[in-house]
This record gives sequence, structure tokens and C-alpha cells, in this order.
Amino acid sequence: MQSNQPAFFKQGPKPLTRLLVFAMLSLALVIGDARYSMLGRVREQISVLLYPLQWLATAPFKAIRTGNDFLTRQADLQAENRQLHDAQLVARANEMKLKALETENTYLRGLTAAQASQPRASQLTEVLYNGRDPFSAKLIVDRGDKQGVHAGQIAIDSRGVVGQVVRVQPLTSEVRLLSDRNHMVPVEVERTQMRTVVYGMGRQQLLEIHNLAPNVDIQVGDMLHTSGIDGIYPAGLPVAKVVKVDRQATSFARILCEPLAEVDKHRFLLLLDAPGGRPAYPVEETASAPATKPKRGR
Amino acid sequence: MPVTRQLLRPVSITFILLTFAIALLINLLPWQASVANFAPDFVAMMVVYWTLNQPRRIGIATAFLLGIVMDVGDGNVLGQHALAYTVMAYLTLSRQRLIAVFPFWQQALVALGLLTLGQTLMVLIQLALGNNFVGWAYFVGNVLAAVLWAPLCNLMLSHQRKPVVVNL
Repeated sequence: MQSNQPAFFKQGPKPLTRLLVFAMLSLALVIGDARYSMLGRVREQISVLLYPLQWLATAPFKAIRTGNDFLTRQADLQAENRQLHDAQLVARANEMKLKALETENTYLRGLTAAQASQPRASQLTEVLYNGRDPFSAKLIVDRGDKQGVHAGQIAIDSRGVVGQVVRVQPLTSEVRLLSDRNHMVPVEVERTQMRTVVYGMGRQQLLEIHNLAPNVDIQVGDMLHTSGIDGIYPAGLPVAKVVKVDRQATSFARILCEPLAEVDKHRFLLLLDAPGGRPAYPVEETASAPATKPKRGR
Repeated sequence: MPVTRQLLRPVSITFILLTFAIALLINLLPWQASVANFAPDFVAMMVVYWTLNQPRRIGIATAFLLGIVMDVGDGNVLGQHALAYTVMAYLTLSRQRLIAVFPFWQQALVALGLLTLGQTLMVLIQLALGNNFVGWAYFVGNVLAAVLWAPLCNLMLSHQRKPVVVNL
């Protein structure tokens, strides 16, 4: 076979040299990306190249879904229609109440100049795929820079918070899931109004609340929702439910929570706009301004 | 039958690129997350396959580029897959003459070793960056890859095999 003939002629650098060159290059990339995150442009360019493949990977499924929708029987449609109609009526009634509350809330908040739970603009996106690497809990969605997505937006589904947009590329963007390791969300226990922070522990694992005393007033079944004090997550979005409280474990209670959003299942996500910006931090030459915002991905 | 004992038609670069594109496509399929660890890394298999069978054309540089593309696709730290694929391609190249004449089942074992090594490198990078080990199930996909190796080789070679002509 031609490809197995010995090489009499020059073929460029030896394999070992190439290995060293490319291995060093990879390591440099790893360090540059992880420690200094200075490769955004490179990533953007490659992601544009990759977009046709990403699109192609999801296209057949979309086509099947559309085909299914097209072939739905009329009886089903009617039943569904009626059901939706009823649901809409209920929602209308709720909405009216909500409108009143919202106006009142806006007014009250306007009084205190706090912007935490203002209604925000939002954008619907579809999940393209879920990265296959078990080390990172990320979703790739089909809206990017071109459609006005920007880093820091919050992704929610119909049940609760899913995560946060951490990296935006021209046509796609990456959503870091709640369960991603060390992803922190400031939350409030609904029952007791206690504020705390919930941490991600890795893909497809539960969330955990750290550093609470063993006698803390928290029970299995307690709901957690965002407290809004970080200025990134709007207040009042459901996040997780407490599923296990172990008070014997260490000198701290071990509290495990399950995300309410179906983090690995949904197809559509709503991206909420980032907050309108907080008042500028008072500039003081003497005090170094502390970083108040939580870590936003790596 | 091993590759070297047959007379094969030359393979076009377009075909090679096409197989890489398909492998990437499979790796990006949306159900990858639900089968997570059980899905073999097809891009890695293709890298090993083509380095083994077309060492003049596909080598360390190609492996590196594909690795970068995989990193971007997965939203990983850049260079993780690149390093793994580079090392896999190098090891394949260094024993290419030997491995290329192995029967497929032995090649499958070699591929299993290489893929596992690649994943080990990725684990090491992630550990160095402060992530937790994700459990041994991470390596299960490689076993599946080894099982799929022989059928995959036959499939790829079917493109290069000449139609059998009985000449008397």
C-alpha cells in the first residue's frame, strides 16, 4: 500500500517534534483559556465554522417534530385547544391580579430605588445540544451575539432557573447550568425568608447549601427562590427544592437540593435580560472596590 | 483481513474530510447528553483510524485542529481535546507500521488503549483546573468504541475495496 512505503524524501519535521510543538500549543491554550480567558475571538471564529454542523445535528429532529405536529389529529387538536382555552382563562385572571401587584410593587420599589425584581425583557431560544463532556454542565442554545444575547443573561424554563449565559458567540451561546461545579446562586428559603447561597456540584448532581449550622431551620420540601441580592438573578424565580438535610454529617449541616427546572430535558429556554445596571459604585481612591458580583463562569 | 493485505483504491481527501465531518456531527447530536458516558468519541476514533491508514496525510496537526473544534463545540476549556488527540495521533504514528498489519480485533484493543489514554489526559487537565473526578463510568464509551472498531473499519474500507472481479 502506497501509504506504507518507507519515506526516502523529506517530509517535514519528525513526529516527535510535531508532538512537542502541538502538545505545548495545547497546553498553552489550556492555560490561556482557563486562567486568563483571552481566547474569546478564536472561539468565536471556530464556532461560526461549526454552526452548520450544529444546525445539521439538530435539523432532523426538528423536522420529525414538525412532521408530527403536522399530522396531529383534529380531535386531539380540539381537545388541546379547549384545555388551553381553560388554562388561558385561569391565567388571565391571575394576570389581572399580577398586573395590579406588579404596578404596586414597581411603585413601592421605585420609592426605595431598588430594581431587584422589575419585570425584564426576555428572549426565547431553543437548546441546540448539551455538551458531551461530563466535566462541564453546559447547554448550547441557538441565539447568539447577532440576536442580541449577551453574557450574564439568565436562562429559565417554565419551572425555574436553568442557568446563566456565560459565553456568547456570533450565532450560538453557552448556558452554564445551575449544576455546574461551583456555580453559585443567591437564594432565599420561601418558608423562612432566610437568605443563603446554593452551589452546583457537577453535572447531573444535586445542588448543595454550604456552611449552615446543624440546627438551621430548613426542612425537606422547602422551596428556594432567588433573592435578587446579587444584582444578576432577578428576585423571586424558583430555583430548587430541598430534598435532604443531614444534620449529623460534620459541624455543618449538609443540605442537598434538587433543581426545579428540568435542567437536562427542556427544549426551549427563556433568556431574561440582565439587570438594567445598578447605580455606579462610589469612586473612592482610598478603598479598593470589592468585587460584589459572584463569579460568572470561568 | 488487515488493511495491508488488500489492494485498495486510493482514498480521496474529500472522503477523509467527510468522515471527520460526520464524526463531529455524531458527537454534536443532541442526545449525547442523555447517553453521556456510553457514547464513544467518534472524532477520536476517526483520528486514530486515519492516522493508522493514511499516515502521510492525517497526522498530529489534523488531530490538533479537530481537538480545538471539539473543545469549542463542547464549550470546554480550549486545548483539552486538542492535547488528547495530539498525543493519540503521535502514539499511533510511532507504531503505525506495526499496528496497521494487525487484525481488526487487535487494532480494537490498541484503539481502546489510545482512547483511554486520551481521556485520562483530559481527566488530568480537568483535575488540574480544580474539577472533581466524574467517576469511572467516564471510560465506558471507550469499550463501546473498541467493540465498534471492526465494523467501523469494514464500513470505511468498503469505500476503498475494489469490486471483486472473477478472472479466469
